[in-house]
Amino acid sequence: MSLVAGSAYLEDPAVLAARAARRPVWLQPAAIGALLGALLALALSWWFVSQQRAERAEDAWNRGVIMQLMAVADAAAAVERRDGTGAEQALQGLLAELTDGDGHFRVVRLSGSRLLASTAPADRDEAAAPRRLSRDEKWLFDLAQGLRAAVETNVSESVFRRRQVEVEALGQDQMRISLPYFVDGRVAGIVLAERERVLQPSRPSAVAATAGVGLAWLAVGGLVLLRRRQGVSPDPAARNWGLFGAGVLVLAAITAGHGLLELGGLERWQRELTDGLSERFLELREEAAYLGGSLGVAIDPGRDNRWDVDLFQRELGVIGGDGRLREAVLDADIDARAAGLRKAIAGNLGLGLLLFAFFALGAATRTGRALRDNRHAYMYVLPAMFGMLILVFFPFAYGITLSFTEQTALNVGEPITELFVGFSNYLRILGDFQVFRSTAEGAVINYQNFYWTLFITICWTVTNVTVGVTFGMLLALSLNTRGLRFTNLYRVLLILPWAIPNYITALIWRGMFHQQFGVINQAIQMFGGEPVAWFDGVFSAFMTGLITNGWLSFPFMMVVILGGLQSISQDMYEAATIDGASKWQQFWQITLPSLKPTIIPAVIISVVWTFNMFNVIYLVSGGEPAGANEILITKAYKIAFEEYRYGYAAAYSVVIFLILMVYGVFQTRMTRATEATTS
Amino acid sequence: MSMRKHIPAVTALVTLVGLFVWGSASAAELVVWHAYRGAERAAFEKVAEMYNAQSSGTKVKLLAVPFDAYADKITAAVPRGRGPDVFIFAQDRLGGWVEGGQTIEPIDFFIEDETLEQFLPNMMDAMTYRGTVYGLPFNYKSITLIYNKALVPTPPATSGELVEVAKRLTNVPTGKFGLAYEFSNYFFHAALMNAFGGAVFDANANPTIDRQENVDAINLMLRWYRDDGFLPADPSAALISTLFNTGNAAMVFSGPWFLAEIQPGVDYGLAPLPKLDELDGEPMRPWLTIEGVYVSAASKHKEEAYDFATFLVSKEAALVMALEGRQLPTNRHAYEDERVATDPVLAAFRKQLETAVPMPNFAEMTLMWSPVTTAMNRITRGSATPEAALATAQEQVAAGIAALRRSN
Repeated sequence: MSLVAGSAYLEDPAVLAARAARRPVWLQPAAIGALLGALLALALSWWFVSQQRAERAEDAWNRGVIMQLMAVADAAAAVERRDGTGAEQALQGLLAELTDGDGHFRVVRLSGSRLLASTAPADRDEAAAPRRLSRDEKWLFDLAQGLRAAVETNVSESVFRRRQVEVEALGQDQMRISLPYFVDGRVAGIVLAERERVLQPSRPSAVAATAGVGLAWLAVGGLVLLRRRQGVSPDPAARNWGLFGAGVLVLAAITAGHGLLELGGLERWQRELTDGLSERFLELREEAAYLGGSLGVAIDPGRDNRWDVDLFQRELGVIGGDGRLREAVLDADIDARAAGLRKAIAGNLGLGLLLFAFFALGAATRTGRALRDNRHAYMYVLPAMFGMLILVFFPFAYGITLSFTEQTALNVGEPITELFVGFSNYLRILGDFQVFRSTAEGAVINYQNFYWTLFITICWTVTNVTVGVTFGMLLALSLNTRGLRFTNLYRVLLILPWAIPNYITALIWRGMFHQQFGVINQAIQMFGGEPVAWFDGVFSAFMTGLITNGWLSFPFMMVVILGGLQSISQDMYEAATIDGASKWQQFWQITLPSLKPTIIPAVIISVVWTFNMFNVIYLVSGGEPAGANEILITKAYKIAFEEYRYGYAAAYSVVIFLILMVYGVFQTRMTRATEATTS
Repeated sequence: MSMRKHIPAVTALVTLVGLFVWGSASAAELVVWHAYRGAERAAFEKVAEMYNAQSSGTKVKLLAVPFDAYADKITAAVPRGRGPDVFIFAQDRLGGWVEGGQTIEPIDFFIEDETLEQFLPNMMDAMTYRGTVYGLPFNYKSITLIYNKALVPTPPATSGELVEVAKRLTNVPTGKFGLAYEFSNYFFHAALMNAFGGAVFDANANPTIDRQENVDAINLMLRWYRDDGFLPADPSAALISTLFNTGNAAMVFSGPWFLAEIQPGVDYGLAPLPKLDELDGEPMRPWLTIEGVYVSAASKHKEEAYDFATFLVSKEAALVMALEGRQLPTNRHAYEDERVATDPVLAAFRKQLETAVPMPNFAEMTLMWSPVTTAMNRITRGSATPEAALATAQEQVAAGIAALRRSN
């Protein structure tokens, strides 16, 4: 086994290239890439279009039921207003007539939790409406209350945030749609329908898509053939830019052509559906008017058609009260929907081109070779990669996705796809340059601004690392003194701050900084000083964090530097002494340069630690005063768990990640540079 | 000895165990989450056992969840169809959970007048959100006046007396203070704010943080802190309990949770918060937090869950929770019991309840804390006037709400 694997290394790249170039034209990477790229792009487009067709058919069906329900709602409201004996019986009759054979309809009144009318088979005989809801019909009551709450929320906030029409799928093609009816401007109850949804089948053309894919394959295969006829047969692992450019044009033309074809079909489909709806509307209007007349109440959608509404009960305005289509509104609606689809098709093309580039530019061949050559290595890391995928990459990708949404605590129930806002979170974080605000007392720093927090974070990181290195160095140098007694004891004592959990240390320091009872102020007073209100000023509060974190971070630096010091050969110091160098010169010329390879990695690590040192900031100063001493990571926490803006906080975290990534790239360069100078 | 001999016996045993497990799973099992510890937990477990003994079929299984993680676990688990059938939490997160959706089951439909009739006044307000009832109130907490009997023989009934006693007992250089409470924490400060008729939100959940009543309440607090000087600066909960235990704070404003921190040697008493002479005897009105029992929207056994919830708020359970768990039950009949009525602690909090008001349960409440805390710190540190600091907080809360609400 290992011999076979090893033999791959022995093969000459030139032999491999020649063998690959002899393969038939249709199996050349460029041709396969064109086939797969076109397949991906067109299959996605086909799928999107078929989704759109299905969605529009569902929308149209739902709208039909909603119109019917709005008519029933008007009837219920009219009957309720009419009051007097027999009103409820009248509603039952009217409901049966108006929804004859269309499934099960119910009218529920909130007050008294009553079932006013029902055409459901369970509600006959003893259980016939009107009656009080039974205990296992709680869901009806809850539905009614939920819709009332939605309407009241929308009214009190004067936005349309909550849906006023509930559409639920009960099972395969079995739908339940409910909406409120109003009496005197208040939600009195709901009407709901349970119906089987029958949709006209409608699919985009599979032939056109298949033909498009075949065409792309043939065209790019032909190009390869043409080049081979001209005597050019390059290594498939190389980057063939000319062929790639031609292939891009072919794929773009085919995807765009297919998209235009399907968009046209979609528009015809929507017109057909709307025509069907307007017919249904006219029937419904006539029947409602007739039935209403027989009861002495007016049931009418009005001139602007109050019955044809969206899920927020806003009038759509496509079908007028006279049943005629309003072409301008319909066109605008079709355009708006097409715009989204056009973007999606462009996105599909991009994905297809990526796949094509992967093959046509030789990356696929190179990857395949690398995988074959190192298959054992890949097999060994597979479990770890799988673990990383679940534990690291999935949450990471979820965080990035979240950063493009406006998810907050109030809309976590909604699917994430409906909350996309593009880059607006990032724009609001990075595009807000109002670090200073002018107020009555002159310009004031806006502590909530990202750039202020970034500035504090950088100050915090730089000062902390400086303090850590300086004190670590001083202590390491003193511990390294020859002939010092009890060295081990000192070492243990000096490492202790590092060994104690840092939140305990942080809380102890916080107590020590207390204005009246803190040991620091008491010491100051003992020497006749004035007590300092540590957390009141930006600078003094910053110092509390710095002192605490300095206390926490010097042991690490000390241990690292001490190790470095002990590896410096004594010979160099002896030689320097003989040459007449002072201690100071020895430190600058021998000690520091020899420590460089130990200190630089330690500094790099501690920069990352300090940059994200949540505990100390959060527990000691808490960002006081007024959030001025917040660092980026504590700010992100506050946005997520005190303001409950998850999407915005995710964007904030991604920005932190990007900053650290830029720093990481820089650090890798630095490390390489140090390695180069020392080796 | 061959293992083969045992195979039939083992098979039979496995089948039996399997049948038993299957059989027990078919009866309704209610998973109940709580965050109680110590005596409260023991009492709660006893109540659950009482329920299990009397109920037919339904079995209650308790799960103690650490308080820090509690709310976030509910938010994460329940909307995805997991988590408990019944859970207990204070009303402050109710609005957020209702707005987030698919977390708490509305229970209006179940509720009967007999259930409502047994509660103390005000309790259902905390469990109602936008006109819909979501939970049954289980117990309540509010702050009250706790005093060291050795230093304060008779508790002050009015703010004038309070200032007089507190000033007499204060000696800043030796670290002695007449009164200690977390005056910069808005939860504690709310007792003054409510007395002045202030509020952080109006009835429609619009922030009203910078209203004049709120400023007046803060000015009174500042007078106590700065001019009268009987309050220790920068008061944290740990500091206050240390001061009280060492006899360096004669009185504190705090709630039932504080009693567990008092050292055995300290002889303390409880009394209602004083009436304010500044407002012609209007009492201080602390915020009430009311723990509710909620039925999870993801529960498969909602009726059984509601049945258990009604048991928890019954007099029978309330007595156990009060006498053994040291909780303050919401069932008013529990206070007719001799043992509860004569218990000085329970009776004192019951008396304080007369002037307490439920903390709002709007979803927006969660946005208020951070800006208001910042404002209170700026005010007590003197870096801003009450008017300016509250105006900033008002602006921030309004912006936070706008950011949360932005949709459609």
